[in-house]
Amino acid sequence: MRFLIITAAALSLFATTSNAQDAARLTLNIETGETTGTVNIAVFNNEPSYEGNAPVRVLRMDVAKGEHQAVIDGLSAGEYGIKVFHDVNDNGRMDTNPFGMPVEPYGFSNNAVGNMGPAKWDRARFDVSGDTAHTINLR
Amino acid sequence: MNVSRRMFLGSSAAAAAAAVLTPDVVKAASALQQAQNWELATADVAGDISPRMLELVHGRVPAGLKGTLYRNGPAQFRRPGGSAQHWFDGDGMIRRWHIEDGQVQLTARFADTRKRRQEEAAGAMLMPGFGTLADPRARIGSPDDVNPANTSVHKVGDKLWALWEAGSPLEMDPVTLETRDYVTLRPDLKAMPFLAHPRIEPDGTMWNLGLNGRGAIVWRLAPGGSLVAADVIELPTASYIHDFSATARHLVILLQPWVHSRNTLPLSQAFEWKPELGSKVLVIDKDELSKRRVFELPPMGFFHVGDAWEDADGTIRFDVAAHSDMDFAARGASEILHGVPLDEEPAELTLVVLTPDGRGRLERTGMIAEFPRSDPRRAGLERRFCIHTTGTRKGTPLASAIGVTDWKSGRTRSFNFGSEHVTDEMVYVPKPGATAEEDAWLIGPSVNLKAGVSELHLLDLARIEDGPVCTWRADVALPAAFHGNWV
Repeated sequence: MRFLIITAAALSLFATTSNAQDAARLTLNIETGETTGTVNIAVFNNEPSYEGNAPVRVLRMDVAKGEHQAVIDGLSAGEYGIKVFHDVNDNGRMDTNPFGMPVEPYGFSNNAVGNMGPAKWDRARFDVSGDTAHTINLR
Repeated sequence: MNVSRRMFLGSSAAAAAAAVLTPDVVKAASALQQAQNWELATADVAGDISPRMLELVHGRVPAGLKGTLYRNGPAQFRRPGGSAQHWFDGDGMIRRWHIEDGQVQLTARFADTRKRRQEEAAGAMLMPGFGTLADPRARIGSPDDVNPANTSVHKVGDKLWALWEAGSPLEMDPVTLETRDYVTLRPDLKAMPFLAHPRIEPDGTMWNLGLNGRGAIVWRLAPGGSLVAADVIELPTASYIHDFSATARHLVILLQPWVHSRNTLPLSQAFEWKPELGSKVLVIDKDELSKRRVFELPPMGFFHVGDAWEDADGTIRFDVAAHSDMDFAARGASEILHGVPLDEEPAELTLVVLTPDGRGRLERTGMIAEFPRSDPRRAGLERRFCIHTTGTRKGTPLASAIGVTDWKSGRTRSFNFGSEHVTDEMVYVPKPGATAEEDAWLIGPSVNLKAGVSELHLLDLARIEDGPVCTWRADVALPAAFHGNWV
């Protein structure tokens, strides 16, 4: 619909330093229907970082080489949120259709979906402690 | 809210009727009784309708009649945890009326949309729509998450597409009506809007629009449904566009003065009626979209236009069901969902004439009409007949009659099924082996309010006033549908 505006900017990734001191480990499985390009993953550890696009970790998966899993070590136990988009054509951005809707697969932790926009922290946050596995389906 | 107030008043009348019987109370109770019957036209259907044979209840089935009428319209509006607030926002149910050897088999299935799955799980209608606000629980990451696939259905190649207007076509199996997936015509055009009223040339070439404010995508599809071209154009006004027209050479886009002027929800409240703008018609060369002309017309509201054609001198003509404003879209179509009869003036069949000197004019007929249809073999070409619903009047819901207007004579012939029927749009069916425009049948369903079931009627275009050639009756009532096609 006309009023559905999902900005690619909201999914943009900014590299920052990690705050790895702790023993929690997150195994992230990404399911995507496309077989080319790169999956970009941004990990956030609180609401301000999530909503402000200031990730604590950024990762990339080479889908063309068959990569679908990432292990993130050294996280502090606690709440996290994740934003993922699949740059299928490796042009470095999330492509949109002429009316501004994303056309490349994307997703959020908890497989959360927003309400006419990117999923907010309250839908995407999940607990990481010890060894935690999490699967995100991109669509 | 007006709707709630009216419903409350209706309930009060019923309660009063039980206590004291005065003429006023009898009148109110009678009105309520009628309203209850009318509710069949916008009722919920509990689930899919498995294939079943219909009973022939009138007439004889003509030899050689064979084909399928596909129709689509909303058939679930209400759930315990929350309901849709507008007729245009219910879940699409695709109906397949298959005729062979004089027998009719009816199958109807809901479009198995992401919307419907999410709402079924929640036990509530959640999605925003034309006149419904989003529930905070709705999960919406794409226009197709809110797509009810409820407005029309077209056979495209060997596939069936259920169409809405602000999202993708939804592909279904043409026999089982099983839902397959949303159609992406090119990866970079995923989730672009696709109107429910494509214009289809006699060879199957399909033209369509998708709207976004003053922006429009022009879709051009080959007869099998593959994409030939898609271009974004700018419109003179951000008018609400449900339907457009085309001649063999031109796209003909009527722009009404109901324009997007507020960023608010629901969508019906984002448009404003600005009659001072008048109406415009944007005429675009199919072969070169940058070649365009704009014609000015008096203000009118509309949903539906007929196929356009051009005279030898380039004069363009097309029929429009002209409303005096768009109050029905903004208000009436919400009220009708609650059994409240129409209280606005019905649409009038009008011919739009655009002459080569750049002027446009309206030739009004005085005939009440909606849902204009015509011979698909003459789409974009000169023709005489416009098939339409009629018999709509203030205080009743929707139509009870079918008309055929002859643009050559200016005469309309019609058949009224009576106040016990709510009639759908009817479509043109060429008689086997015939090529003349008048040598055709009309086919379409009605809801028989008295019997509480749906019926399918076949009429002869040349003798429409005689009533149905034959009528079949189902053992279920399906609510009024919006649009469909005969294949």
